[in-house]
Amino acid sequence: MDLFIQRVFDGLANGSAYALIAVALVLIFKATTLINFAQGEMAMLGAFVALQLWYWGVPVWIAVILAMLFSAVLAAGIERTLIRPFDPKDHLPLVIITLGLFLAINAFAGIVWRFDPRQFPEMFPGGNALDIGSRGLSWFAVFTIILTVGVILLLQLLLNKTKIGLAFRAVSSNLESSELVGIKVGSTLQFGWALAAAVGTLGACVYVANPLLSLEPSVMLRVLIFAASAAALGGLDSIWGALVGGLAIGFVQSLLVQYIDFIPSEMSLAAAVVVLLIVLLFKPAGLFGTASVERV
Amino acid sequence: MATKYILAGTQQHRIWKYATWGLFIVVVMLVAFAYVDTGTIDIGDNSYNLSMIRIAKAVSFGVAILGLQCVVGFTGQVALGQSFFVGTGAYITAWLVADHQWPYLLTLVVVVPACFLIGMLLGLPALRIKGLYLALVTLGMAAVFPSIVKLDAISDQTGGSGGKSTAESKLVSPEWATSIFDGIAGVLQAVPLVGQYFGDGDLSEREADRMWKFVLFIIVAAICFWIVNNLVKSRPGRAMRAIRDNETGAAVSGVDLAMTKTLAFGVASALGGVAGTIYVMEVGIASPDDFTQLLAINLIVGLVVGGVGTLSGAVVGGLVVVLIPDWAASTESVAGVPERWLQGPTGSFLLGVMLIFLTFVMPGGIVAGFRKLRARYVQVVPRPPDGSVPAAFAAATAGPATDGEAMLSNESDDELVHTGSDSGSNDE
Repeated sequence: MDLFIQRVFDGLANGSAYALIAVALVLIFKATTLINFAQGEMAMLGAFVALQLWYWGVPVWIAVILAMLFSAVLAAGIERTLIRPFDPKDHLPLVIITLGLFLAINAFAGIVWRFDPRQFPEMFPGGNALDIGSRGLSWFAVFTIILTVGVILLLQLLLNKTKIGLAFRAVSSNLESSELVGIKVGSTLQFGWALAAAVGTLGACVYVANPLLSLEPSVMLRVLIFAASAAALGGLDSIWGALVGGLAIGFVQSLLVQYIDFIPSEMSLAAAVVVLLIVLLFKPAGLFGTASVERV
Repeated sequence: MATKYILAGTQQHRIWKYATWGLFIVVVMLVAFAYVDTGTIDIGDNSYNLSMIRIAKAVSFGVAILGLQCVVGFTGQVALGQSFFVGTGAYITAWLVADHQWPYLLTLVVVVPACFLIGMLLGLPALRIKGLYLALVTLGMAAVFPSIVKLDAISDQTGGSGGKSTAESKLVSPEWATSIFDGIAGVLQAVPLVGQYFGDGDLSEREADRMWKFVLFIIVAAICFWIVNNLVKSRPGRAMRAIRDNETGAAVSGVDLAMTKTLAFGVASALGGVAGTIYVMEVGIASPDDFTQLLAINLIVGLVVGGVGTLSGAVVGGLVVVLIPDWAASTESVAGVPERWLQGPTGSFLLGVMLIFLTFVMPGGIVAGFRKLRARYVQVVPRPPDGSVPAAFAAATAGPATDGEAMLSNESDDELVHTGSDSGSNDE
């Protein structure tokens, strides 16, 4: 029983980090119907920037916020220079560009920070919030979940109560019509990318701040797959769906794989891919997404 | 130099085509003999390795990229998981060779059908999943492969996380082949001036084995290219291209979408399996970390940098994907670049940047760029299905060959897709 509770908490903590990256994927997908394969790597780069700032003596939270700003500016630049010139309906060039970014950013981080794992500073107080038997709910898990829900609430406020949020929703609902009513589509999409990169960076920081994990250039390779499954499960255009999906994938990883004997523990990634496959095959809109209707 | 025009399907065109491919093979073999052992080129303070290990790897990746050409380039399905099949082929070969003492080449009898079936099976979901979603799922598949082969349940067959070594059974050059290689090397060494570049005396045992392997790889790869070349020119190949260009249109014209797509996936996976076999033959070990999603992405880089939808693009792509990281790793000093930048994964960085750059300036890849250049000197004019001589060709050859250029599109130069119009296109 103790072990079970422990795993529930682990699942929640990991799931929240997946949810944050999934939210980043969803934001870009909502705006441009593009899946950004480089999202995980951009987030990893942001986490490294935060770490570097912390090495230079900046307090950890300020470092994370500065890194989020840096990622936002970088992503806005990437959108303007590399993504906008291409037709959003033609997928192959965009996949190739994001894969190119994936390789380049991954290698860049490898060149600058090398491949040895580095401990990320603690963002939350250590110790346990709640002791149950020999196990406990760590403050890390509690704060991660609160932070994730808080970020998503803020995003909802931003999208629903501000002018730029309204423009963003208009663009994601109908690009051509919003252009006709005078919304600057380009800068709105740029805003979406910046927002996504900032949220993704926060997600990566939270993920590697887990005392059990450390930061290295390849840390997000797997997380991207988990986050993509989470986003697909929740519905690729639903932000709350990303939270639910992220937690669900976290639970799949920590519970199902541990308790069902015939699934060996190395298969958590495979389990995520299978979830992704099943969702896309049988309910492409996910749990909360808008079903797309196509005229043929 | 004035542009030279050649009519497709004529004797002249055939000579031109085979001469260029023949020249390519001769150059490959000359390079092979020159660099069979210590292939290094010194530029500045850096020495670059060109030895056969690299070239053999390039052949393997070239075949894998050829598979991607079938499914991405010709059928238009954005499937990124080729490393999964390369890994499958590599592991089947390693298992059969190490545990069952099969000869290397014989394992292809198992690898090709097995990968073909697995590919068709995994291609089935692709009938429903499209575009970016397919890219996502296939990338996920590629990411899962290492954890599958590390499973405890099959670690006896796969060797777990250490990998499966086939070091015990070596590929040895037979007597007759060795003597032929020695003969060729002797002839090349006798050539004045350049003879010194081909070493001296007979090839050592190691060199002969390496040369033998290389010849085998080239033959296997050539068979693969020949099969795919025929496939894309045949009826299923045209169906594949119809799906790529307009799926609804293809279905309306009677193309069986499900059948053709699964066939494309099957062929692509089988080629991936062959690539895996070649890889194990050269490297001597199949280890899980060689077949991650980074390999999958690298193969996509090769596809795009070489040229999507061209067969020669697969050759170029294989060379680029292997040689650039390798050369980047052996570059130790470049003026103006801090040393730190040259250690570490500089090659991957260059590949990523190159991928983005080429997507902007040369969307057709290196092959398209080369064809554009070549089109300034030689143009192949396709013949209409009725067999008449096209007016543009007549005008260009009759008058001064300067205004003709504008009338002839570069696309007609796509030798691998449009050739044989005198016999192939009007047979239905």
